[in-house]
Amino acid sequence: MRALAPRRWPLALRVPLLITLLMIGIAGAISKLVLVRLEATQAAHVEELSGAYLDGLSTALLPAMIRRDPWEAFDALDRSRARYRGVGALRVLVVLPDGTVLAASDPIRHPLGAAAPDEAGPAPLRLAPGAATAWIHRAVSEGGVPVGRIAAEVDVTALATERRATLLALVGVNAALTLLFAILGWLLVRRMLRPVLRLSERLGRAAEGRLEPIPEAELPPADTEVGRAFRRYNAAAAAIAEREALLTRLAEEERRALVGRYASAMAHEVNNPLGGLFNAVRMIQRHGDDPERRLRAASLLERGLTGIHNIVRASLILWRGEADARPVSAADIDDLRLLIESEARRRELILDWQQGMEGSFPAPAQAVRQIALNLLLNACAASPPGGRVAVRTQVVGGVLTLVVADEGPGLPTEARRLLIDGPEAQVPQAGGLGLWTVARLVRELDASVHLAGPPGTHVTIRIPDAEHSAHFPAAA
Amino acid sequence: MRRTALPARCRLRRRTLLAAAAALATPPALAARTVTLGLTPVFLDSDIVLVRQIEGHISARIGRPVQVVKRRTYREVTSLLVAGQLDAAWICGYPFVQHRDALEILAVPLYRGEPLYRAYLIARQDRSATTLAELRGDLHAFSDPDSNSGFLVTSAMLAELGTAPAAFFARSFFTYGHRNVIRAVAAGLAQSGSVDGYVWDVMADLEPALVGATRVVQASAPMGFPPFATSRQADPGLARAIRGALLTMPETADGRAILATLRLDGFVAGSPGLFDGIAALSRRARAAG
Repeated sequence: MRALAPRRWPLALRVPLLITLLMIGIAGAISKLVLVRLEATQAAHVEELSGAYLDGLSTALLPAMIRRDPWEAFDALDRSRARYRGVGALRVLVVLPDGTVLAASDPIRHPLGAAAPDEAGPAPLRLAPGAATAWIHRAVSEGGVPVGRIAAEVDVTALATERRATLLALVGVNAALTLLFAILGWLLVRRMLRPVLRLSERLGRAAEGRLEPIPEAELPPADTEVGRAFRRYNAAAAAIAEREALLTRLAEEERRALVGRYASAMAHEVNNPLGGLFNAVRMIQRHGDDPERRLRAASLLERGLTGIHNIVRASLILWRGEADARPVSAADIDDLRLLIESEARRRELILDWQQGMEGSFPAPAQAVRQIALNLLLNACAASPPGGRVAVRTQVVGGVLTLVVADEGPGLPTEARRLLIDGPEAQVPQAGGLGLWTVARLVRELDASVHLAGPPGTHVTIRIPDAEHSAHFPAAA
Repeated sequence: MRRTALPARCRLRRRTLLAAAAALATPPALAARTVTLGLTPVFLDSDIVLVRQIEGHISARIGRPVQVVKRRTYREVTSLLVAGQLDAAWICGYPFVQHRDALEILAVPLYRGEPLYRAYLIARQDRSATTLAELRGDLHAFSDPDSNSGFLVTSAMLAELGTAPAAFFARSFFTYGHRNVIRAVAAGLAQSGSVDGYVWDVMADLEPALVGATRVVQASAPMGFPPFATSRQADPGLARAIRGALLTMPETADGRAILATLRLDGFVAGSPGLFDGIAALSRRARAAG
């Protein structure tokens, strides 16, 4: 029902409708005025005409009325019939002061001495709407003594017809004008609204991530309202596109920075077993004949190579690119441990790793891993030597909860605000890209952030089931 | 045409000569005096042509200017005639019998070959009444209180029934003209009327639509036709001249035109006895009160 409320009707309908209503109101008022004036004019005309008629008649009838002579009165009426044809008198009665008929133009209907009918009683002229006749009157007296009155019923059909014709003409003309104005209004509003609708359509597409500028050729002149609006839209579209490009570049740079930071850690991790591996190779070279030593050396080689393989595999998976939109699995989280363990060891930290997740969870693996890794790197960086970095993951009620805690001095205010309010609240600062990326991904995953501490920092990220999250765009 | 026109011209010359001789014999003022002829409304709506024809005809016959004097009521004309204000007048038989001592008949018109006519009681065409008795309670139109056919006959008939107009009719009024009685009944102003039978018959010819709306309920016995009369005090020579003009009316073209208009055949000298019937009705009516 609310969708049908007039406020929701399109402007192209509301304006013509308003014009129509306005026109109907104006037309009604004008028609009423015209008809009232016409009726007054007609009444004045009838009064004038009937006045002259009654004057002539009363002059002719006066002697007969004084003498109460029915024949003379009738004769006068009869003779006046032809003379006053223009008046359109249908019935004329000569009524004595006692209310009886002295003579009538139709003596059979109104015989001599009969009571005059009520409608012929003295009353001011009234042109009833639709009435075919009206009564006119004239009191007749002689020397101040009333001798009777003359009442005449006159044909006013011509007047009624004229009024009806006028009314019909008014209704016809007004209806035509109303229709014309309504159509013109509709066309005009549609024409006026066309640029607005175009702008609205383009803005609607912006919600889908496509804010396309209007081609120069389609821009109206710059000195018009629409021209200015279109140019402002183009400026806004350009600004947003620039910002989007910047953000994309920043994200890429951040990812590369992460790669850089890890290249050294990974080199270290690979380098560590290399000495042992060379020893094992030498052992095989020297004591290859000894099956026991050869097996031990081969086992050493295998473990060392497996460690290197794991690190390389985790790194490969981590930096495979943004295309990794498959659901996150427990193995992804375990890979992170391999990546962060060397960093923790380097900083002499205790890594408290409790992986409560089993199988996979419907959230993009790449995004979840990037959030967790950034938080872990920050936690390692913030923790004092010998400190503890705790990691907890679990899935409860369709929500993946990731907790990263450290014993550092706590997050600075900007960092807290960035995580809580989202990446739009701040422009990313140099060196703060990690948390800025977390905030961006959290927003994309429709996840929530909870912060606790100091002492230490306790970050809880709750990631909802991606199938129920409308905000995360499909990976390209 | 030539044969009739020639003697008329001869007579005209003779009368002109006579008039000239009379003018020489009498003082000029008297010789030039206009002869006045009284007339009451007959049946024509506009009788100005007829009046001019009568004036012309009589003037030519008597060699003196003639002026027709019209009055609305019989009484006015009769009074003027009796008082000598009129030289002659066409009056009704009833005023004549009322003033028989003072008046003298000049000539009586011939209607359908006789100096007689009837009085009609008329009603609207849609009524079936055949006697006066059936008209009781009507609105009744009379012609003139001094008219024989337009009042006296009906009054006398009512007297025979032992009643009078005021008691018998719901209401009655005078229209002062036989034509008006027919109009009143035709229009429905009156339900019945007393009218001159001669007028009704002629009008049935002239205005069939009007008269067709009425019908004769009852006709009276024939009575003396309204005569031309003069005062017994009037100049006998003039009276003779006027009588001559009337009696010779069928002999001249203009006279015949007048007679054709009036639907009359001519004139006879007439006698007072012709009006004895009317005198009897008058007595009867007067006796009833």
